[in-house]
Amino acid sequence: MEIIFIIALLIVSSLVSILLKRRAAIEGVSVVSSFIVLILSISIAIKVADFGSYNFLPFFNIDALGAIMILIVSFVGFFTVVYSIVYLRKETAKNIIGFTRVKQYFILLNLFLTAMFLSISASNPIFAWISIEATTLSTAFLVSFYNKPSSVEAAWKYLIINSVGLLLGFFGTLLYFTEIHGTGGAISWNLLLENSSNLNPLLAKIAFIFVLIGYGTKVGFVPMHTWKPDAYSKAPAPLGALLSGALLPIAFMIILKFKKITDAVVGPLFSQHLLIAFGVLSVAVSALIIFNSRNYKRLLAYSSIENAGIMALGFGFGGLGIFAAILHMIYHSCVKAILFFTSGNLLLKYSSAKIQNIKGALKILPITSVLFILGFLIISGTPPFGIFLTKVYILSAGIQVYPIVSFIVLFFLTITFIGFLKHVSSMFLGEKPVDVEAGESSIWLLVPPIIFLVIIIILSFYIPPFLLALINKAVLLY
Amino acid sequence: MSILFLQFILEIMFLILVFLHISKKSSEVVWAYMFQSLALGIILFNSYLDSGSILLLVVVLLVLAIKVILAPLFFNRLIKKNALAFSVSTYINTPLTLIIISSLTFIAYSHKFFPLTNIIPGNHMLLALSLAVMFLSLFLIINRKGALSQIIGVLSFENSLIAFVVFAGLEQSAWLQIGILFDIFVWIIISTVFTNMIYEQFGSLNVTVMNKLKD
Repeated sequence: MEIIFIIALLIVSSLVSILLKRRAAIEGVSVVSSFIVLILSISIAIKVADFGSYNFLPFFNIDALGAIMILIVSFVGFFTVVYSIVYLRKETAKNIIGFTRVKQYFILLNLFLTAMFLSISASNPIFAWISIEATTLSTAFLVSFYNKPSSVEAAWKYLIINSVGLLLGFFGTLLYFTEIHGTGGAISWNLLLENSSNLNPLLAKIAFIFVLIGYGTKVGFVPMHTWKPDAYSKAPAPLGALLSGALLPIAFMIILKFKKITDAVVGPLFSQHLLIAFGVLSVAVSALIIFNSRNYKRLLAYSSIENAGIMALGFGFGGLGIFAAILHMIYHSCVKAILFFTSGNLLLKYSSAKIQNIKGALKILPITSVLFILGFLIISGTPPFGIFLTKVYILSAGIQVYPIVSFIVLFFLTITFIGFLKHVSSMFLGEKPVDVEAGESSIWLLVPPIIFLVIIIILSFYIPPFLLALINKAVLLY
Repeated sequence: MSILFLQFILEIMFLILVFLHISKKSSEVVWAYMFQSLALGIILFNSYLDSGSILLLVVVLLVLAIKVILAPLFFNRLIKKNALAFSVSTYINTPLTLIIISSLTFIAYSHKFFPLTNIIPGNHMLLALSLAVMFLSLFLIINRKGALSQIIGVLSFENSLIAFVVFAGLEQSAWLQIGILFDIFVWIIISTVFTNMIYEQFGSLNVTVMNKLKD
C-alpha cells in the first residue's frame, strides 16, 4: 500500500503545484510530500529486509536491491527538494529565474521522482521501460531550465540520445519475451526468470547487448555517455544530485535484472565480460577527461561515469565485487549529493562553472569548501571513508580473476585522483578574488550536504542491520 | 489479411524510409512519416482482426490519432510558423547514402541476424524487412542534420520496432501498448517544443550550428 501512497502523493504534489499561485505554498507542498515519501520508503525497506520482497497488487514488486534504490531516491529526493528551495530563491534574487520557472521546476521534479519510483517498483519490464522513458521526458525541460542556447543544445542532446538508447533497450527487452506465450501480456520479471530455460541462448545474448546499450545510455557508460557532461553542467545544480545519485543506480538496477535472466540462460561469463569491458572503458575515458576538465560541473559528470564504471566492474568481477558494488552505489549517491549541492553553492557565489574562475574558495566559502574537499576525498577513495573499502574489495575481486584488468583500472583511478586533486587545489587554495564577497549564502544550503556527510561517515563504519540485510539479500539475488 | 499484403505494406514502410533519406522538403518529410504511420496502423489493424480484442482496436485508433493526425499537425504548424520550407541536408551525399542504405538492408537479411529474423520462421522475410527499416531509421537519425528529420527518425525507428514486434509475435497487452503510446505522444509534444526552442535560439534547425557547449 505504501508504494501507492508514494506515487499518488507525488502526482498530487505535481498537480497541486500547477494550481498554486504562491511560491511558499508550492515549496511547502513539495517538502511535505517528499518527507512523507521518505518515511514511507523507510517502511518499505524495512519490510523487504524482514520478508525478502514487497508486493502490492500484480503491478508492484520490490526486491532487496529495489528497496535500496527506494531508500536512495527518497533520501536524495527529499534533500534535493530542501536544497532546491533555497537555491532557487537565491537565483530568483539574482534575477536568473522568475516564479514561473520555479513552479515548473517543482512540478517536473515531482514527476521525475514519480517516474523513478515507478521504474523501481514496476513488476513488469515494459512498464519499467515506460517509467524510465518518463524520467527522460520529465527532466528534459529541467536540463533546458535556464533557456540559454547551450541549455537547449544540452537538452536536445539529452532527449535524442536517451530516446534512441531507450528504444534500443526496449527492443532488447522484447527479445526476452520470445518464449513466453499465453499470458495476455502480463509478464513480470519473475516470469521471465522462470521461463529463461526456454530462451534461445544466442537470442538472449543479443537481447542483453541491446539492453546494456539501451539502459547503459541512461547509466552513462562510455561510449554512450556523451549527453551526460552537457546535461549535468546545464541543469540546475540540485538536479545533478538526482540524475547522478538516483537515476544512474536505477538504470543500473534494470540492467542487473536482465543480467540475472541472461545468466540463467547462457551462464554468468557473457554478461560479466561485457560489464568489465564497459567498466574499464568508462573508468579510462573519464580519468583522461577529468585530468583536463575545465568545468567543475562537467567534472562531476565524468566522475559519475567513472563510478558507473567501477560499479560495472564490481558486478563483472563477481564474488565480493558484487557486495562492494552495491555498497559503492549507496556511497556514491550520498557523496554525489554533497558534491552537486556544494557545486551549487560555488555557482551562486562565483556565477561561473569554470574551474579557472574559482579561486580562493576556502576563504570565501569555508564550510562549502571543506564539504567539497571532503566529497572529493570520499569519491576518490581516500581512507577511512567507505568508498576506499569498496574500491579495494572490487579490485581485490578483480585481481583474483582478471589481474591485468585490475591493474589497468588501478592506474586510471590514480590518474583520476591526481586530476581531481589538481582541480580542487586550484579552486580552493590561493588568493581570493577582490570582487567576490566572502561568506556562505545560507545555512540551508549547507544542511543537506552536511547531513549526507554524516550519513557517509556513519555508513563507513557502521551499516544498520536492516540495510546490511538488504545488501546481503541483493548480493544473493544478483 | 494475407502475408503477401502485409509484406507489401512493410515494403511501403521501407520505401518511405528511403524517400526520407533523400527528401529535401520539410513538408515531404512530415507527409512521409504520416504515410509510414498509416502503414503501421494497417499492420496493427490486422492484429486486431486476428485477435478480435476491442482494446486492440482502441490501440489502432490511438495510433492513427497520434501518429497520423496529431504528430503531422504539430510538425506542419512548426514548419509554417518558422517558414521551414526546405529540410536540412545530410552529412553524407545522396549516392553514398543510397549505397549505405543498400548495405544496411543486405546486413539485415544476412545470416548474422538470423536469430532475430527467425523468431517466427514463417515470418522470416517480414522480420528481416522490419529489421532493415529499423537500421535505416537509425541511419536517418545519424545522417540528417535537421532537428525535425532527427525527430522523424526517432519516431520512424519506433514505428519499425513496433512492426518487428508484431511480426515476431511479441505484442504486449493493450494496456501496456496504450502506456507506450502515451509516452510517444508526450515525446512528440516535448520534441516539437524543443524544435521551436532550437529555432528561437539558433535561427535554424540545423543541428550543426549548435556548438555552444564548451568544456
